[in-house]
Amino acid sequence: MSSPELVVQALYGSHHGWLNAWLRARLGNAADAADLAQDTFVRLLQRTERLELKAPRAFLRTIARGLVIDHWRREEIERAYVETIAHLPEGEVPDAESRALVLELLESIARMLEGLKPRVRQAFLLAQCEGLTHKQIAELLGVSVRSVERYVADALYHCYVLRYES
Amino acid sequence: MPVDNLSLARRVEPRQQVVKQAIHWLLRLRNNHGNSRLTRQCEQWRAEHHEHEIAWQRVQSLHAELSSSLRAVQGAQVAFNTLENSAQGLGRRQALKLLSGALLMGSAAWLARDSAAWQQWSADYATATGERRGFQLPDGTRIELNTASAVDLNYTTQQRLIKLTRGEIIVTCGGSDEGAAADRPLRVENRHGSYAPVDGRFILRQEEQCTRLSVTRGRVLVHAGGHSLEALAGQSFLVDQSGLRAAPTPDMDAGAWLDGLIVTRNMRLGDFLAEVGRYRPGYLHCSAEIADLRLSGVFRLEDTDRLLAVLPQTLPVQLRYRTRWWVTLERAA
Repeated sequence: MSSPELVVQALYGSHHGWLNAWLRARLGNAADAADLAQDTFVRLLQRTERLELKAPRAFLRTIARGLVIDHWRREEIERAYVETIAHLPEGEVPDAESRALVLELLESIARMLEGLKPRVRQAFLLAQCEGLTHKQIAELLGVSVRSVERYVADALYHCYVLRYES
Repeated sequence: MPVDNLSLARRVEPRQQVVKQAIHWLLRLRNNHGNSRLTRQCEQWRAEHHEHEIAWQRVQSLHAELSSSLRAVQGAQVAFNTLENSAQGLGRRQALKLLSGALLMGSAAWLARDSAAWQQWSADYATATGERRGFQLPDGTRIELNTASAVDLNYTTQQRLIKLTRGEIIVTCGGSDEGAAADRPLRVENRHGSYAPVDGRFILRQEEQCTRLSVTRGRVLVHAGGHSLEALAGQSFLVDQSGLRAAPTPDMDAGAWLDGLIVTRNMRLGDFLAEVGRYRPGYLHCSAEIADLRLSGVFRLEDTDRLLAVLPQTLPVQLRYRTRWWVTLERAA
């Protein structure tokens, strides 16, 4: 067995129970907590750099936090989507298959837009989804057209950095 | 020197400034659709340097990819509403459970179970827009948080301190208070003043400039800006850093939100919409010509869309929904 695997195995042995409890306190659900705890160790196995062992729990927490946020994001998007399409006229409600596809798309976009200020995100989405002009967006948000231009440009730059520089 | 060859061979990574220029070009072209002079200028810019062309290609394909993903979502405003709504939900959960770094106290029952631990802890409680929640603290004190509100608790063996950092709360002293009060007084603080209840119940509503204190039962000792005062049941004060003064007669019932209501007496429509706006995300405005219309009544907060829909029945106004979260009121045609 290679040494990274041994390291992960040792971490698993001494911290799995603790991580499980940590996740459970956040998710309020034992099944999700068990899944994410497994995921955390799988992520560790996939890492190529040397593992930082000075503060193993802080290290595990960092990975687990990211997974918890992924998990919540998925849940929130699903909730918001179901809520939104409930307002659609009957004929426009998408079937289960296209729903799954759409959720995946929305999740990847949401991940990309995370960390943007609400105004910046809203301006960007109004331009992209609703096809509104900068002038229309400025009226809706109650800001100047110049601000909207800056918001949309900032959002695109943010996405660029995520896509090409990280 | 081989330096030039090396840098040519390496993949050019566009500098930040060039990427921003490319974005600028893309947005200008989109907003001036079919402007051939602008198109030519952009082509010139791209041809100026290999770095420009790379940045342009990337920005354009990123933009196209985002657009096509979003357009694949069927239904008007579905993508926008879903993403906005979920971003708010996620932000709330992250703020509450992960990023605050504080121990999250999920429920009062959980707290009460661990009676040894509650003596010395600190926690953050917060509500999202439109949410109202109540918490029973282990010492018997009850806090109700109105929409978009937050408190930090700091209970030690010497003191019980509640810090209102945002929004509005109702504090009700508990029955067990009499015994505990002497050695561990209860105090509420915010950026405008400090409030020590001598048994009783009071409402604190923090705004930008000042805080409104309304005592509904018992007495509260208030300190602000070097002044002190004892506020009695039935009294209301405006508190800011310079001191306190009696509040003008309110045009709404201060504590009605606890029952999920807004109760107004001859309130300006502009002020009323600002009040309703506290309970829903997005933007809610009315045109200036109708802002001074007055309304009185009892309005239910549980569904603010329905609440708004009632207004045209009593006032000469009409609603305009641009998206679910962008609503304007105008004079009825």
